[in-house]
Amino acid sequence: MAELRIQGLAKSYRDVRVLESIDLTIASGEFFTLLGPSGCGKTTLLRTIAGFQHQDRGEIVVKGERIDLKPAHKRDIGMVFQDYAVFPHLTVAENVAFGLKARSLPKSEIETRVAESLKMVRLDGYQSRLPAEMSGGQQQRIGLARAMAIRPTLLLMDEPLSNLDAKLRIELREDIRDIQRRLGITTIYVTHDQEEALAVSDRICVMDKGRVEQIGTPFEIYRHPVRRFAAGFVGTMNFISGTLKAGQLLIGSRSVHFPGADGTGPVELAIRPENVILSGSSPGAAIPLRGEVRKVTFLGREAHYTLGTEAGEIIAQAMDPSADFIAMEGQTIDIVLPIAKAALFDANGDLVSAGRP
Amino acid sequence: MMTKRIRFELWTCVLIAAWAIVFLLLIWPLSSILKASLIDNETGTFSLVHYVEIFTLKAYQRAIGNTFLAGLGGMAGALILGVTLAFITTRFRIFGRALIQTLAVVALVSPPFIGAYAWIVLFGASGVVRKALSSIGLSIPPIYGAAGVILVFSLKFFPHVFLITSGALAAINRSVEEAAESLGVPPWKRLFIVTFPLILPAISVSALLTFVLSIADFGTPRIIGRDFNVLATEAFNLFSSEVGGNPGMASALSVVLIVLSMIVVLAQRWMLRKNVYYSNLIKKPERQRVRGLKATGLHILAYTIVLLGALPALIVVLFSFRRTSGPVFQPGFSLQSYEKVISTVSDPIWNTLNFSFAAVIAIVISGTLIGYLISRRPSVATGSLDALLMIPYVVPGIVMGIAFITRFNDPPLAFTGTGFIIILAVYIRRLPYSARSVAAALKQVGPSLEDAAVSLGYSPGKAFLKVTVPLIAPGILAGALMSFVTAMNELSSSLVLYVGRTITMPVRIYLSVMDGEYGTASALSTILLTMTVIAVYGAFHLSGRKESALL
Repeated sequence: MAELRIQGLAKSYRDVRVLESIDLTIASGEFFTLLGPSGCGKTTLLRTIAGFQHQDRGEIVVKGERIDLKPAHKRDIGMVFQDYAVFPHLTVAENVAFGLKARSLPKSEIETRVAESLKMVRLDGYQSRLPAEMSGGQQQRIGLARAMAIRPTLLLMDEPLSNLDAKLRIELREDIRDIQRRLGITTIYVTHDQEEALAVSDRICVMDKGRVEQIGTPFEIYRHPVRRFAAGFVGTMNFISGTLKAGQLLIGSRSVHFPGADGTGPVELAIRPENVILSGSSPGAAIPLRGEVRKVTFLGREAHYTLGTEAGEIIAQAMDPSADFIAMEGQTIDIVLPIAKAALFDANGDLVSAGRP
Repeated sequence: MMTKRIRFELWTCVLIAAWAIVFLLLIWPLSSILKASLIDNETGTFSLVHYVEIFTLKAYQRAIGNTFLAGLGGMAGALILGVTLAFITTRFRIFGRALIQTLAVVALVSPPFIGAYAWIVLFGASGVVRKALSSIGLSIPPIYGAAGVILVFSLKFFPHVFLITSGALAAINRSVEEAAESLGVPPWKRLFIVTFPLILPAISVSALLTFVLSIADFGTPRIIGRDFNVLATEAFNLFSSEVGGNPGMASALSVVLIVLSMIVVLAQRWMLRKNVYYSNLIKKPERQRVRGLKATGLHILAYTIVLLGALPALIVVLFSFRRTSGPVFQPGFSLQSYEKVISTVSDPIWNTLNFSFAAVIAIVISGTLIGYLISRRPSVATGSLDALLMIPYVVPGIVMGIAFITRFNDPPLAFTGTGFIIILAVYIRRLPYSARSVAAALKQVGPSLEDAAVSLGYSPGKAFLKVTVPLIAPGILAGALMSFVTAMNELSSSLVLYVGRTITMPVRIYLSVMDGEYGTASALSTILLTMTVIAVYGAFHLSGRKESALL
């Protein structure tokens, strides 16, 4: 089992800093996801761990041993690629056996492991097919089997699902998660899809502009973001501009005491659509607002209401919407923003207070 | 602590070797041309006298004018024929499309000077067609001169245009044209405001190619031009004639020729700086079914173009079996031309095969490595290498020959008069094509395939051999065969570099035509053509993408 530690990892291209002193510790057997928009440095970080790129500064330590001085092919790291990178001139079985041959394993051992790996990704029976005859989802399964067959100390996945259609994406992501759990292999997964990250990860590292914004479990990242960027990037979030004056929060014409916020200055109140209460009152401290329903989007299980208020536009979500949702458009309704479910961020994007007691 | 690791590996060595090759075989020889052009023949001091002469003496001005005329004429003719044929075959259902493509390819791969020679056989001073016409009272002037040169260039180079623009025409998304029509543009107008602008990049690339090929061609103006002197022929005359030779002037003319080609290349790039269109090919264009008079007209047009293009090759094969008596063809058929070739002039065949084979081996190995370097290790050093490799595209064979003979005349690099120098000239002339086609093929092989192999435990060198090489091997082999074809058909540089022992088939054919031994020329040309066709067939078979192997 392998624990991974990254210390002070930094890299620049000319004068652009792509990684700014990254520190991470990933526990053995953990499913760790790097999440962020394109250009945030997540793929660079992954490829640096794999050894395809080299850092300017910092260390990568696996099982107490520095690996960043070794060339890529000696790091014993399995990698799954966005474009599958399945060798088109080799059969499915030859693809999976490719890394085993590099390790000069006996023939019988290779055969056993190929069969095992293919069974694991549910591709047994396809041994002698060529990749060109297979679908994208199947090709990525070959890529997964190939990386797992060498029983690597670390498994790296670079947006493995982003070239697949929605349904296959969910199916394969469940398979990846199951296999990873079963084998207990330390995995680093890169994605820009926040839903995917929430679904598969033990912990998520939200990155932006080469920096780590927040590391936490999916629940922590979604429910208790500590940076404005993480709050906005994961899920939908309303940001409402306001002013803080000695513990009192001013939103539009409303003023309310916000626990834990003593400072003064411009702030943003963050609240998720599902926490906005439509018509009615809230049990705890809350900000009441009046809003005109500008648009209603019906999504079946839920409906989204776009409301125009004196504090700006607010999206609210209602589960199991009632039948007359269309009729709501144009009406003015009362809404409530419960303080316990909101968070305050300052102008730097740092958390001022999480609202909950 | 900053630790920038310096990696000394296989590819660093390849980069150094590639630079050495480019310097030794390209920069150093060509610098001799530049130097000689700037030195007064008598005093041996620096002088611009040759360049002054070029722009003051009538003869040289005429040569420049003729070069332009031949280049623009050849380009215009090839464009008209090529674009027309491409349009007809991609937009209409034409019977025997495979035949049309085959004939175009035959026209493309037959040695350039065979075209000139075949047209002389038909329409020359004692041409077959001309004689037949005069016997029934019709007198037409012989084909020599500017008209002949332009005719031969047009018919020789149109297949390039045809192949490049058909590719572009077939890649236009049909929805774009349908959108134009739904917006109220009639089909004939759509052709000019939508279709042609979309294939402009392809048209301009083929225009550039045909212009550069036309002005660099030596055999055609020499054989069919008679008094129609162009820069290439003037340079050759001044360099090779034993009386009144003027190497300084020959060099200056060569420099002018190179500069001309470069201006055209740069102009084309400048023109295309914005005109790059990206379109996703969702719906492929369809071939329209046509009937009646329109169908007949289109078929006649298409077949006339390709048959005229392939005619020289067919004529040469036919005439190689004719009975001859000295330079004059007699009625009836015989194998006497072949008997003569086998008994007296078989050396050129072996020389051609040996030289081409040696050159191709070197081209394939270094071209693959350099192509990989250019596409996978982008840096200032590889970028400038790539730019320098453009030079052979614009340096005519005659100029390369003259440069080589000047530089490789003294020890330790005294190669003049050996087969080695001919091999080197062909090697450096063809190397860029090979390197660039490998670079293009590598773009199709995603770099993540090699990363995957490395992550599975293979060193980068082994990953390249086990994954990349097998994937690009068919492309490399197809490219090798096409290099072999061009190597076999190389005339201009060999003509400067050959001595009696190292004569090649194209040189022998050229000399036979100049001496009026048409029978020998036909037989040798047929043998050369046969070897060429076999190689081309092999290349097609390997590449699986047919005509694209030629480009």
